[in-house]
Amino acid sequence: MLRTVKPKNARSKRALQAREPKEIEDPRTAIFVKGTHTGEKVNGVMKELMALKRPHAISFSKKNTVRPFEDASSLEFWANKNDASLFLVGQSTKKRPDGLTFVRMFDYRVLDMCEVGVDMFKSMAEFKTPKATPGHKPLLHFASELFDTHPRFIQLKSMLMDFFNGEVIDQVCLAGIEHVISISLGPTPPSLNAATTTLQASSSATPAENSASLPKVHIRGYTIRLLKSGTRVPRVELTPMGPFIDLTLRRHQEADPELLKQAMKRPKLRKQEVEKGLGKKRKNLEVDEMGDLRGRIHVGKQDLSKLQTRKMKGLKSGRDDMLMDVDEDESDGDSSDGGRRRKRQRSQSD
Amino acid sequence: MDVSDILAAHEAKQKAVTVEKEIPLEVDTGFLTVTDLNPVDAESYEANLEEYLMSTARDGVQTLIASLFSLPTTSSPDGPLAQLPAPTTQLPRAKPLPKPKPLTKWEKFARAKGIQKKRREKKVWDEEKQEWVDRWGWKGANKKEETQWLTEVPANADVDYDAAKVARDARKARVAKNEKQRQQNLARAAQAQGPSAAPAPVEIRKKQIDRTLAVTRTSTASMGKFDRTLEGEKKLKGVKRKFEPTIMPAESEKSHNLAILAKLDKEPAAKKSKKSTPSSGGSDVLNVRKAIRTASKGKGSAALAREGSSSKGSKGKKGKR
Repeated sequence: MLRTVKPKNARSKRALQAREPKEIEDPRTAIFVKGTHTGEKVNGVMKELMALKRPHAISFSKKNTVRPFEDASSLEFWANKNDASLFLVGQSTKKRPDGLTFVRMFDYRVLDMCEVGVDMFKSMAEFKTPKATPGHKPLLHFASELFDTHPRFIQLKSMLMDFFNGEVIDQVCLAGIEHVISISLGPTPPSLNAATTTLQASSSATPAENSASLPKVHIRGYTIRLLKSGTRVPRVELTPMGPFIDLTLRRHQEADPELLKQAMKRPKLRKQEVEKGLGKKRKNLEVDEMGDLRGRIHVGKQDLSKLQTRKMKGLKSGRDDMLMDVDEDESDGDSSDGGRRRKRQRSQSD
Repeated sequence: MDVSDILAAHEAKQKAVTVEKEIPLEVDTGFLTVTDLNPVDAESYEANLEEYLMSTARDGVQTLIASLFSLPTTSSPDGPLAQLPAPTTQLPRAKPLPKPKPLTKWEKFARAKGIQKKRREKKVWDEEKQEWVDRWGWKGANKKEETQWLTEVPANADVDYDAAKVARDARKARVAKNEKQRQQNLARAAQAQGPSAAPAPVEIRKKQIDRTLAVTRTSTASMGKFDRTLEGEKKLKGVKRKFEPTIMPAESEKSHNLAILAKLDKEPAAKKSKKSTPSSGGSDVLNVRKAIRTASKGKGSAALAREGSSSKGSKGKKGKR
């Protein structure tokens, strides 16, 4: 356990406050960890997934001895240290070649895990097509009825949604929709079909047998082209962007029901709070009596010394002392009369 | 002029915007996600995988884009912004819900009495200076009495009565009182969160002081026997030995003895914990790891196995080396 720190200055206090639980959460940060050995394939997959997950991704470049399913203590430590709640652990062993483990955390503890094996990988560089801008939100597409019925795939869907699109946003820029990540399954095997229709009648089947019979998972990245269709809704065309990844499901760990119950709690948000910024602290914004949002901004002090005012002959710097002499002469001669005369002249000129 | 071709092409384009599926697609616009629950078509999947995947993805994205473009929008310099509804899919949170801040003593009282919180202006109007000044802080209005050049002295005041000092002391006392109340509020909040976990800091400190005092009192050459005692000092209390009465009811004597027997039967805790951590070897009697180490002369089990197999099978390996 990390020691609890008492902030010593305002900056560290703000940093600690940013870590505190919020009603509306920030996007999950993912840490990419390499196990004792990762092959070329796993390295490539992790690199590409990281490119998609950026900027909410941290890469651990060194190798680590981690076995998430046996001992999750180091994951918990890293989660605490980096304020991250997602892990992608890549590890290739003889028994489980090219393995990837998605780990999701709750309150710096492991919530659930899902291990997959990489069968095929085609990187983004292999497609000579335009790529999506980093940081843009992807669309997600899931295709198979198993995503609604089979517990393993429900978990996978939830995990991948958290991975790519977990943040709750209130608006999206339609021009910024650039790419889609499509997750589809192979054809549903008849055994699974029967099992789901009879509602776990064949629960006696061994887990090893189960995971072998599960269909493959195909992850595909495409860029979206929006074509004019004559209606408000444009026609969509896809271009392969990569990465293309084929996965098979391996081990998994279900969420502890007690922990999951805590994790699924929703905050009660009042409308006023939603308007005020959804539980996030927003400074210098207020809603006035008319219901308009008003912001206050700080503008630095204006440098008036360099302000260019109206140009006049009389204000030229070189003329200053000459004018002074003339004035003195006049005041010496006739004090009140001179002023009057000048006034008269001005009225005539008008 | 034949426009039927153009019309047909136009119609085809129009058609392409809508997607017809057996089971309508599930769209979660809040998370920009679409789920296609139609079963996978095994034939086209086998025939051309990539094409099939792309066509299903296109259909899904078309549906999602259609629902996104039908949302109400606001304009922005970067293009129209679609206002998303709340997501329908429930994803687990990353951190627990924030706990409400514990109420202070005043807040509790105010709530019970129904007192509304009033925001106090930070600035007050200074009639003399004709400007707004801070209520407190640097050149604050609360220091007015200390800094004014003329003050009224009460009739029965001492000779060395210093009005500025009196005002300053009063102000400092108010600040100290507020700080003390703040600390008490913090302590109360800590107590409410975990009463057993952390006793009040005052209690801990008291115990510590008592302990230090007891140690120092017996730290002289005479172990405190010839020290002058201070007024109001209490006598040091040691641990008092307690003896059971010589005559006690048979029932309690029996339970007492049984408790001793039970204690004898149990293993000590330290020994138990040592034993429960299993060595990687199998049985308790033989430490397999150690045995392997000695048998293979520190080379490990793999070397031992190789040696065994080579001596059984071909003998020519030695020569090669």
